[in-house]
Amino acid sequence: MRVGVLGIGKTPHKIQHEKSLKDLAVEAGRKALHDAGVSPSDIQMLYVGNVGSVGFNYENSTALMVAHHLGVVPAGAVRVEAACGTGAWALHLGCVAIASGLYDTVMVMGCEKMNDLATVEGTSIIAQAADSKEEYFSGLTFPSGTALTARKYMQAYGVTEEDLAHTSVKNHYYGARNPSAHLRFECTVEEVMNSAKVADPLKLYEVCPMTDAASAIVLCRPEILEAQQSRPQVYVTATSMGSGTWYQATDSLDDGYNLFARPAARAYEMAGVTAKDIDVAEIYNSFSIQEPLGIEGLGFAKQGQGWKGAKDGSTWLDGKIAVNLSGGLLCKGHPLGATGATQAVDVIEQLRGTAPEGTQRADAQIGISACRGGPGSVGAIHIYQREG
Amino acid sequence: MTVSAIEFSRLGPSKLHLFAMKCSKCKELSPWWERSHCYKCGHDTLTEFELAGTGEITNYTVVYYPPREFLGQEPYVVGHILMDEGVTLPAPVMGVNPADVEVGTRVAATLRRMKLGHEGDIYYSYKFVVDDEPAPKKKAPAKKPTARRAPAKKK
Amino acid sequence: MATLTSYGAYVPQYRAPLGEIQKFFGRPGRPRSRALATPGLDEDTLTMAFEAAREALKGERGVGAVITATQAPPFALRKLSSTLARALRLDDGAVHIDLGANATGLLDAFRIAATLDVGPTLVVATDHLVSYQARVADVLSAGAATAFLVDPRTSGFATLGQQARVHDEVFDVWMLGREQEPRFRMEVLFNAYAAATGRAVTALEAITDRPTGRYTSICPSQPHPQVLRGLARVGAKPEQIAGTSFVGDIGNVGAASVGLALCLGLDASRKGSNLLALAYGGGEAVAQDISVTSKPKGVDTRSKIDGGEPIAVGTYYRWIEGRQQSPH
Repeated sequence: MRVGVLGIGKTPHKIQHEKSLKDLAVEAGRKALHDAGVSPSDIQMLYVGNVGSVGFNYENSTALMVAHHLGVVPAGAVRVEAACGTGAWALHLGCVAIASGLYDTVMVMGCEKMNDLATVEGTSIIAQAADSKEEYFSGLTFPSGTALTARKYMQAYGVTEEDLAHTSVKNHYYGARNPSAHLRFECTVEEVMNSAKVADPLKLYEVCPMTDAASAIVLCRPEILEAQQSRPQVYVTATSMGSGTWYQATDSLDDGYNLFARPAARAYEMAGVTAKDIDVAEIYNSFSIQEPLGIEGLGFAKQGQGWKGAKDGSTWLDGKIAVNLSGGLLCKGHPLGATGATQAVDVIEQLRGTAPEGTQRADAQIGISACRGGPGSVGAIHIYQREG
Repeated sequence: MTVSAIEFSRLGPSKLHLFAMKCSKCKELSPWWERSHCYKCGHDTLTEFELAGTGEITNYTVVYYPPREFLGQEPYVVGHILMDEGVTLPAPVMGVNPADVEVGTRVAATLRRMKLGHEGDIYYSYKFVVDDEPAPKKKAPAKKPTARRAPAKKK
Repeated sequence: MATLTSYGAYVPQYRAPLGEIQKFFGRPGRPRSRALATPGLDEDTLTMAFEAAREALKGERGVGAVITATQAPPFALRKLSSTLARALRLDDGAVHIDLGANATGLLDAFRIAATLDVGPTLVVATDHLVSYQARVADVLSAGAATAFLVDPRTSGFATLGQQARVHDEVFDVWMLGREQEPRFRMEVLFNAYAAATGRAVTALEAITDRPTGRYTSICPSQPHPQVLRGLARVGAKPEQIAGTSFVGDIGNVGAASVGLALCLGLDASRKGSNLLALAYGGGEAVAQDISVTSKPKGVDTRSKIDGGEPIAVGTYYRWIEGRQQSPH
């Protein structure tokens, strides 16, 4: 598969009380159009990922609203939703649209505005992305549900809270250097350990903030991008999606591993590469434990070993495989519908060589983004390649 | 979460009881929400199987930032409880200092208020309290909390 | 003759610091109770009833009737007794009866249970009349539940004997319709309690020929320590109520009060003991003769009262505020 990346754009990722959901989506969309050098009328289909606007913003029909205000009418527009994997799903549908041959140029977008409501309301709405009536009826929320996975991992592999804290240290190091990140401060292992408890064993610096943001990508048939050699020649070379359990109670560590490992296997085959060929990775980590799990699922480390790279340097900028040079979701936040699209934008920037200073991997050629959603329900893998 | 009165009528009564779902094919127990899907073998016919109410904690977290319905009760423990019959359920564990809870603590079920539906009535359901009684002699073999399926193999 | 075959008691584990609450509101005087047994935010009269009933039933499901007595049902327009029966998975077809109105409900329920011919009857008295702010210093509101299995056919460990009843029109403690908390005149309560219970025990003496002073113990409902002192006027000796007094430890548990006193009396009883259950509410008093025919298996009610976990005054008020927002 080979889908051209014609343009990318994203808003800052932080609390932005002055911007509505519509404002964020239009801002990202316009940036992507401008970067692609196309006008709204060139977009033949719009995919807008959004998870919770009914709850957060008391509005539905996000794609129809964005299509109107971005000016892509009369092209078709549809909303995409797959819990926290939404942005990656929008990207997948865009790739499928191009690969099918039915469309030449499409836009995919993810957007979310979470901060119009108080934290406790927001947490309850996010919980609707899991089973709020059955499993989360027991007083769980996403942080506490994931905390159960963290403890399971620690028990199974003899990993301590301090071992896991290194993941936050690495993410914050790069988040501090990312101008569009929500949290921009470095921290030490001790500061992570002393940060306030959110859901034992997860602490404040191990969970992502609630963020407002939108990210967009203009995709095209490869011939269109090839004909514009002055543009960075970055292509999406694999898009592989899978599902997993809807309930945390019956989710095992192997289930979590397979959530990424199965679609990753197909993705590597699709792109004609192996895990060893990857230079940069954006791995979903709304909670720090998910980064080691993702590193293992993508084949960068054995099960139970994924946490080590943050401590020994092998997942830092100059390590064997650089993971989350954007600061990850821990620093960028997790605007639910936008995240998967933001991950794509961040990998593409690495391959283009336009990542912020101090976070640019030297000569990055092949990148991967891994997004997940729900209690263990969505696995979404994309591989990107720079040519020439 | 908010729930309408109609939904409450549909969901409410079953929440008073502590039960699992028993697969008519493989006889294994799945959690109570698997009304049409056996987690173990995928079969589509399951029947209610009443649980005695005792079990042990195999995993837990302590919630400091609760959802709306649990406001005022934090910090509280939510555990994965391996019931003596061999099925694991998530549930709050109340009336105990979180520091006194650990994997292996025995617990027993009781009835508690869970939340008010936004249009519905009061939801009652089971929560757990620490159980001083010893484990029953004949216990279902404890299932390990991790490996259940073999890791993915590359095609 | 109706007999008791089993019983259970539930006292919530939390103890609110009445002394600090009084200080907080600048109320003078010594707190009348050491602490208040306070149900957790996720507890109410139904969940407490469930706990007590489960202890009494010990897994039994074949119950012919369920009678609940409370002044604070968590919901209206639906029976507490029915919901309790459903939660306990009792057999279909049982009679469900809700009693309300005042603190004599348990003894009213015994009277009804003795006449029903439906097999074992589960009788549960449960209460938590919440008072807000300074009022709690007078009303001593606390929560608890007690459950009894009454069987007219089999012989249990105690026989429910005769009852004597009196009623006067009194305005001591009352609540209108759906009001949030009770209104009260405590001094009227103290006098009315003494007057009505006095007439009730005198009437019972006439029926049973057993003088009040000859009971092994007296198990009185007790909204306030003052009413226990007043019992001396009706012929009660201190040793008869020493073992069944608890209001000075955990406060006023409303309709569950006479039940809790009775549980204490039964725990300490043996073959040949005679207990006098005595309940007062809203001007009405009921005196019940109970003869213990074999030593019952106790439920250690005293430990449930004496145990408990102190909560801070801030926690107490955070819960009270939570209760006002979602009333229960």
